[in-house]
This record gives sequence, C-alpha cells and structure tokens, in this order.
Amino acid sequence: MIPVESESTSKEGTKIVYVSKENLFAYMKERKDEGYDILLMVTGIDYKDHLEVVYHLLSTANGNRLIVKTKTDGEVDSMVPLWAGANWHERETWDLVGIKFKGHPNLKRILLAEGWVGHPLRKDYPLDKKQYVNLKENGEDYVSYDPREGY
Amino acid sequence: MSDSILLTTLDEAMRWGKGKSLWPFTFGLACCAIEMMSAMGSDYDWARFGADVFRDSPRHADLMIVSGTVTKKMAPRIRRLYDQMAFPKYVISMGACASAGGPYVRGYSVVDGVDQVVPVDVYVFGCPPRPEALISALKQLQDGIVSGKVKH
Amino acid sequence: MEDKVIEVNFGPQHPSTHGVLRIKVKLDGEIIMDAYPVIGYLHRNAEKLSEMGAYPKALIYIDRLDYVASLNNELGYVLSAEKLMDAQVPERAQWIRMMLVELNRIASHLVWLGTHGLDMGMLTPYFYCWRERERILRIFDEITGSRLLYNYFAIGGVYSDITPKAIDMIKEFLADFGSKLEEIQAIFAKNYIYVKRTRDVGKLSLEDALSYGVTGPLLRASGKKWDLRKNQPYLYYDQVNFDIPVRQEGDVYARFQVRIEEMRQSIKIAQQVLSKIPEGEYYNKKFSKPMLVRLKGTGDSYVPTESPKGEYGVYLIGDGSTIPYRVRIRSPSFANLSALPIMLKGYKIADLTATVSSLDPVFGEVDR
Repeated sequence: MIPVESESTSKEGTKIVYVSKENLFAYMKERKDEGYDILLMVTGIDYKDHLEVVYHLLSTANGNRLIVKTKTDGEVDSMVPLWAGANWHERETWDLVGIKFKGHPNLKRILLAEGWVGHPLRKDYPLDKKQYVNLKENGEDYVSYDPREGY
Repeated sequence: MSDSILLTTLDEAMRWGKGKSLWPFTFGLACCAIEMMSAMGSDYDWARFGADVFRDSPRHADLMIVSGTVTKKMAPRIRRLYDQMAFPKYVISMGACASAGGPYVRGYSVVDGVDQVVPVDVYVFGCPPRPEALISALKQLQDGIVSGKVKH
Repeated sequence: MEDKVIEVNFGPQHPSTHGVLRIKVKLDGEIIMDAYPVIGYLHRNAEKLSEMGAYPKALIYIDRLDYVASLNNELGYVLSAEKLMDAQVPERAQWIRMMLVELNRIASHLVWLGTHGLDMGMLTPYFYCWRERERILRIFDEITGSRLLYNYFAIGGVYSDITPKAIDMIKEFLADFGSKLEEIQAIFAKNYIYVKRTRDVGKLSLEDALSYGVTGPLLRASGKKWDLRKNQPYLYYDQVNFDIPVRQEGDVYARFQVRIEEMRQSIKIAQQVLSKIPEGEYYNKKFSKPMLVRLKGTGDSYVPTESPKGEYGVYLIGDGSTIPYRVRIRSPSFANLSALPIMLKGYKIADLTATVSSLDPVFGEVDR
C-alpha cells in the first residue's frame, strides 16, 4: 500500500487524497488494479508559488469516485500507459498551464496555434500583449507579435 | 399585346437575375449555425426567396454567411476560402460574435469581428438572431443588389 | 508497381463535419491506415473568462458550450455552485429543472438525427426532425423568453415560473410525439441502403471505450449499462420509472437505436414529472439579488450529471472570495472524440462520414 500525504473531503462527499510526486505512478497503478477503470479528466492549477495536478477517477463496478492531487514545480509522470484517454488531457494541460509530462508520446499544443508563446491559464499571463496568427504556404501556422502580419 | 412585352435595359435585367438567385455557402462555425439551419427548415422557409441550393464548394457559391465566432486560428482559412469564390460575391456576417467580437472580446484568441478578414455587406445582430432577422437581412441584400447600390 | 501511402486533408470546412474539425487521413488505396484529428479552431477561452467575474456572470460562457442543448450545461454548473455555497433550493424548482432538461434532451437528439440523415445522403428526415424541434423551441420561448441560449437556471432556483399556457403546450406536444417518432424511425430502419452502410462500421470494443474515458450513448451501445440518472441519481430521478437501453455490437447502427430509445424514455419521464410538480416557491429569496448579495464559497465541488453526450460536470475551486479560483469543465465530446483513431483504422474512406457523425461532437464543448 503506497502511503498518502493527507486526506480531506470535497463539498459533495468525494474523498480527496494528496500524494507525493515520486509515489504518483505506483499509487495510480494500484488504484487501476483495484477497479477504477475510467480516468475522467486531468486538471492543472496555478497557485502563485507552486503548480498542482488533479486527477478524477471513477469505478463503474461499484460507483466509487476518487480525487487525487499532487504538488509539483513543472514536471509529472505521464499516465498514458495506464489509461489511453490521458493523452489528449495531458496535451491540453501542457498547452494551457505549462506542466510537462515525462514519457508522453506526442506532447504538442492542441488548442492554440503552433508557435504560440506563453501559457494562458497562468495567473501572470499578460492579456494586453496580443499575438497574431497567419498561414504559411505549406499549411502550418505562423504566430507573431506584429499586427501587420496576421489576424 | 402590351401585357406580354416588357422593355428594360440589359443592366437592370442582369441585376434582377443576380439578386434573386443567390446560392449560399454553408459556413457554420458555432451556435448561430443552428439558427441558420432553422431558417432553412420547414417553418421559416428560406427557399422561397431563391436561395434554396446550399452549395458545399466555394467555387460554386456566391453568398457567404459567416455564422459564429471567428478565432485567430481559423481566420486565415476564412480568407483563403473567400479568395476561392468567383465574382460576384457577397458576405453576410451573422450574430454578435461575427460582427464585433461578441461576449468573448476580452479574451486572447478571438478576432474582433469578421470585417477585419473579409469585406462585409450586411450585419445581423443578436445572440443568436432569430430566423426572421436573417431572412430580413437577405431581403435587404436582395433590394440592394437589384437597385444597384451594392456592388460586388 | 509500388504501394504509396498518400495523405488527404479533411479540412476545417467540410459539409459533413459537425462544426470545425480537421482530420489528416493516411490512405492506401481506399483503406484508412491512420487518422489524426486536429482541433482548436473554436477555442473561445471560456475558462479564463469565467475566472474574471463573479459566480453568476460565468453562466453566459457556460451556456454556449454545448449550444444545441444548453440547459444541461447550466444544470451542471448550478448544482456544483450550490453545493459549494451550501444553498437550499425549493422543491418546485428542482422538479421544473428535471422536466425542462428532459425536453432539451429530446431536442438535442432531434438535431443529431436530422444532420445524421444529411450526412448519409437523405434529405427528408432533416425537415421532419426540425418541424418537431420547432414545437419544443416554442415551448421554451414561452417559458424563458429565448429560443436557443436561455440563461434561465440561477444559483438558488429558476428565474421565473412556468405559466398554465406552457403546461398545456407541453401536454399537447408529449401526447403525439411518440407516433411522429415511429414515423421518423421507419425512414431509417426500413431503408436497406442505410442498414447496409451502418452495420459493422466504426466498431468500438468495451475495453477501448473504458480506457479512453468514453461515456454516454457510445458506452451504452458497446455493452455497459451505465447511466448516471440510475446509478448515481441527482435531482429526483429515483422517484420516476424509466429504463436504460443497452446494445452489444458497438457499431453505428447500435448507437442509432440507443438514441431513438432514449427519446422514448425521455417522453415517459417528462409525463411523470408533469403530474408530480408541487406548488411552492421557485427561487430561494436569500440569493435573489445576486449582484448585491455577494456569493462566496470555499473548497472543491464537482457534481456530475448526464447530458445527451455523456458525463458532464463543472469542477469549481473557491477560495473564499466572490470570484472562483478555478473553473474546469469536463466535456464529454472531448473524451469521445479522442477515441476516433481506433474507430477508423482498417475501414474504407466512405465509412468516415458515418463514423464521425455517429459520435455527435459539438465543437463549442470540445474546444471550449
């Protein structure tokens, strides 16, 4: 049994568990063997001095839910070997919050254009410095800070 | 004999033909596309006004209805599709998002209105506009073409 | 003569994608080797804008996520926010919410049915389905004032009461929709070409579905009896009788049968709810002036609901102030769409439109 750092409960009654970054993959593997077969979503949160990653788990055999949180400063192990649905969720967390996932097969931007600078859901993202997007001849995107070069 | 012969100029006859048989180009991006599909349906019949053939390829169409939010990633592709249409071509911008940015104007990835990408002839406001508003915009465009005020 | 694999772009503007989806398809003759979807052409930053204002102000962005059935979106947000703030909701408001959400489920499946017919080359079911949908939209126009995007559910109840005229319209609609639905189903099911084009096409096995996080009608068509209204009931779903349709094959025809059967069960639920609505208040007076009474909440909250596409919920984190710290939307179409590459491998290029259309993606929800 992998030890947890602390436990609490959310407002509607689901158990929340904090796990350290090194034990995370082994803890999730234990939970998958125990019967949690759907990974619902992966969230990234920006607290000002550290980042957090939150996983929601669901077991369809008996209806149990579990929320697993971990603190990090930029890098976490990837869950793609356990649940294939984590692929797109981790790409979106890298795109919007800026957390890297070790061992991910294809960590590229998914919602913003290729070449965008910055991670918008961080609290210190400058909203007044706008970026402009245009199309190159071979079909790829081209992003710049100059308003004369794009839309 | 006088009720079966009509005298007119060639320009006027061509403008009447252009205006009353516009072929729209299906370009639904977001929520306004559902109201455009309602206008095509059986309760608010859009085919009565001559625009019943919805062409899917830009080379065959002559009216582009931009319905929905224009994002920065999609804007260059809209410009490319507009360039592929043949003259004469007209553009209706439908909804608050396509006319001025809509409720998303404070964000980081939305273009403030489609008139920064293509030239627009008629604006329709609403979020989403009712199908009657869209039909009234089509009627205004047709009157403009037939009288000669709207040039392509 | 060598075999060459060519790459074809199924671009963001196409008559049969339900919105803006781009797929890069690798073809060998007519067989699909690989499919790589590219999304993000409708990214409207709903999460960042919801974190810039008070709790009720986020409802305009939440409304426009799944724009075909927008009361389901509001329900997920409002239930999470009420748990966060420990708000009490009167009983009449909860029963009204249940009835309107079931009517919205019927409207959403009718849009899917009409556009699915267009993708398969049939023009008639489009007009039949939209004629029925117009009757539902007139009911909503009478109750909430708007046809498509309502902003009607509030934290603490609903904004206005339902009138006796609206109740008559709902009774009249539910009485004869069943026979119209049989007529529409016969257009599809008795058509030999449609059945041949959709049986054994786009199969999804149960282990793949659970591994990719697929929920909703797709999971039920692959053999798993899982519906949040029965397994983890919210509102008053444990006090009405209805069944859950399940099929075992996992192909496009099974998904079509599951959705038609769901529409029939929604009629049954709505008729039972209509006879059980109690009298009383429809809005908790303590929350009735949301801009003056500052709504505050602390902690985490996530209440899952069953929307027509799958499991939907909003995960809220509050830190004690009037502005939420993090708003994260669990959208079912995002997870369903990520399973597209395995559903397409090995099939022919003509099966691509049938498979994409049976997933029912709505791009306001995928790209947020």
